[in-house]
Parts: sequence; structure tokens; C-alpha cells
Amino acid sequence: MLFETGKPDVETDLKTCFYIFYKDLSMLIITRITLTLLFLLFPLSAAFSEELLVGAASDLLFVFSEMGKTFESETGNRIIFTFGSTGMLAEQIRQGAPYDIFAAADDRYIMGLKNQNLLKNDSIRNYAGGRLVIAYNKNVKPVTTLRDLLVKDIKSIAIANPDHAPYGIAAKEFLIRAGLWDKIKSKLILGENVRQALQFIQTGNADAGIIALSIAKVPEVNYITISEELHPPINQTMAILKDTSKQKVAKEFIDFVCSKKGKAMLEEYGYKTK
Amino acid sequence: MNHTDLFPLYLTLKVSIIATLFSFFVGLLMAWILAKKDFFLKNFIDAIVMQPLIIPPTVLGYYLLVVLGRNGPIGRFLENVFGVTVVFTWKGAVIAAVVASIPLFIKPARASIESVDINIENAARLLGKSEFKVFTSVTLPLAKRGIIAGTAMAFARSMGDFGTTLMVAGNIPQKTQTISIAIYDAVQANNIPLANTLVLIITAFSISVLFWVNKFTKGKY
Repeated sequence: MLFETGKPDVETDLKTCFYIFYKDLSMLIITRITLTLLFLLFPLSAAFSEELLVGAASDLLFVFSEMGKTFESETGNRIIFTFGSTGMLAEQIRQGAPYDIFAAADDRYIMGLKNQNLLKNDSIRNYAGGRLVIAYNKNVKPVTTLRDLLVKDIKSIAIANPDHAPYGIAAKEFLIRAGLWDKIKSKLILGENVRQALQFIQTGNADAGIIALSIAKVPEVNYITISEELHPPINQTMAILKDTSKQKVAKEFIDFVCSKKGKAMLEEYGYKTK
Repeated sequence: MNHTDLFPLYLTLKVSIIATLFSFFVGLLMAWILAKKDFFLKNFIDAIVMQPLIIPPTVLGYYLLVVLGRNGPIGRFLENVFGVTVVFTWKGAVIAAVVASIPLFIKPARASIESVDINIENAARLLGKSEFKVFTSVTLPLAKRGIIAGTAMAFARSMGDFGTTLMVAGNIPQKTQTISIAIYDAVQANNIPLANTLVLIITAFSISVLFWVNKFTKGKY
């Protein structure tokens, strides 16, 4: 029976057929997967001429995003921002983060890095002065004076972490000078940076807060500006990192920020420029 | 959603695929040694390897940053000898993902290698097979389920890592911003639509990975 000829073995034929089919199919799938992997491993190269990495204090989120777009369309270079607290960014730079430019909200951090020989000394520029505001969520009773922060309705007050965020340091100093720090301390919620402090107020998770004027113009929030004499000066300073290979484009961006056009944009967001 | 918004997804896939490959080969060797060999301080080494499951991710990230940073011993060596910087690049994210996920591979892989009947392995040895051949043709196929489960778990863990990656690779858009860091960033910036989209994508991924693991290891449905 085993060697019987003439009668086609349908079952074997079908098996062979399926075997070839599956073999082809699996080859096809393997090729597809390999191609996809290759595609993933070698990231798409952008059409921009140079790519600039900027570590920027988070109070700059709105103004720098807008400036970045203008700079990109004017120069054809690409600009990528990492927003975070100045203290955190400075620490990352110490550990070797590959930023080309560091835009700090506080010149003391720039001086610290300068002393460690991590910055290009002649590139250090003071580009703006920051302002503080008392911001509150639109759903709470309007805050019109500083004393209003003490009322029971204001259960939580957001500021940036004064350990490493300049706007947090300024807010703390302001509250100490006003004699309110001890009374308000238990209501404080600390944001990782001033942008997060704003987010707490935007979402209503904090009723009020003390944040940067430059980010306070959002639909969910009302604010009153704090007079300049009442808080320590916020000297926003930027510099090019020593290790960058993109000195030229980096300098172009700093010049752009300090240009007439750049200053006009900064002023529009509430910064003081000289 | 545009190309830039989807970058974190590409990066996360790239990082977790490479990390899983590392975890697989290194982890398989370690699982085999831990399962088959007895040596001095074995339990201590086992405890060290399992640490990433227990210590906080930020602590793990801090250890890596200290060792791999430009002032750390390994970081300085890599920079001086090969000119490679690991911290704040996607390579740093891969290392963070490997360290965080390798215990999840080793644990089930070791258990299933240990459960392979030694008599079957001895039979292969009796037939003159080398130790390597015994491992690849007897132990590995019999321990298949645990190894597949471990691989999938390690992959899922690599995709979701946050704390360790943030410490070692930072949060640089278009460079080191993986999906979980992009979600954190989007929430901080009050970009709720982007946060929601990314959260849905990663949730769907995680559920399907575990679903496939269960299918492979437990049964038809």
C-alpha cells in the first residue's frame, strides 16, 4: 500500500502546498518586520540645515515657542526646546546634557556654570527681567490684595519649587518680605517648575499661586501683577555651552533674542528689556 | 497628531526593542548561570540583579547617572576611549530600560530553566552533545514558555519606564523624550489632548502585550 502508484495522495499534496504557502508568508512577514526595524533604528533625517538644542527656563515656554518658529522660518535652522526649572537644567548640564544654549531665569545659575568652565564666557547675555504675578483660578473668589491669599476659600497656593526654580525663589522671597511666608506655608503646593505651578492653578488643583507674568495669560486664570520693588530682581540670562559644535547658529539665536524684534516679543509677554 | 507628536512613539519602540534584545541575550546567560551553577555569593548576586524591581526608579536612575555621567567612572572611560556620551542621549534611555527590565526577564526564564527535567538533558549529554548544544536543543525549547513570557514582560516594562529614563536620559523633545516622559510633559504643559492620545496608545500596547503573553503561555483564550 505504501508504494501504490497512480492514485494521487491528495492529503500530502495539500500539505506541501500549505507548507510552501506558509514558508513564503513567513518570509514575507520577516522581511516586513526587518524593514520596519531598520526604519525605526535609523531615524528620519530632517530637512533643516542645523539643529539647535536649547535648555530654557519654563517661564519662557510661550515666548520662546513663538520666537523659535520665527527663527526657524527666517534662518531655516531647526530649534528644539527643553523647558524645565533653571536649577534642574543647570544640573543636567553639569552631568553632560548636550544643549547648545542655556537660557536661565536666574543669572546665579549661569555664574555657577561659568565658574565650572562649562560656558563660553563671551556669550553670556542678560536678555530680560522677569515679573511676578498673583494668579488665581477663575472659579474662586477674585484675589485683589495680598491679604486675600489668607482667606479660608483659598485652600492651596502653587509656587515653583524654591530649591531649584528661580520663580519659586522669587515668590518665597516676596512672601517673606511681605511677612506672609509663615502664615501661607501650610497652603503651599510646589510645582517642579513655574509652568507646573501654573498648570495646578489652570486645572483648579490649586486655587491661587505666585508665578511668572510671562505665562499668566491663559484662559482659565486671572492675575494681578506684583510691583517690581516688592520682589527680588529676576535677571534672566543666557549663554552658549562650551562643548557645542554649533557656536555660529547658537550665537545667531542669542542675537535674535536680544534684537529689536526679539525684545519686542519679550515685552509683549511682560518681560522688561533694557 | 503630526509627525513630531508621534516621535515619542517611534523612540519608545526603538528603545524598547533594542533594550529587549539586550535583556534577552544577557538575561538568558544570567538565568542559565543562576539556574544551573552554584558559586560563592550566588544569592547575593541574585539579590543585586533583582534590585530594580524593588528600589525606586529614581534611585536606580541616580546610580546610573553617577556611574555613567561624564564625571562617573564608566562615563569618563566611554568618553575618553570611544568618544561616546551616554547620558542625555537615547543610548542612556536604552541602558535605563535594560537595567529596569532585565529582572522581569530573568525571573521567569530562570524558573522555567530550573524546571526542565535534568534526565532529559543528561540523555542528550549521553548521546555526546556539547553543553551548548544541550542548552540550545533541549533546555531552551523546554523552557520556551517562561522565556517568551519574560521577553514580553521585559518589553512592556521597557516601554513604560519613566523615573530611571528621566534621570539618565532627561526630557529632550525629539531626542530622548519617550512616550511616558512625553505624557508627563504634556500634562505639565496642560496639553490634555496630546496626553490623552499618548495614554491611549500606551495602554492599548500594554494590554495587547499581556494578552499575547497569556495566549502563548496559558491557553487558547
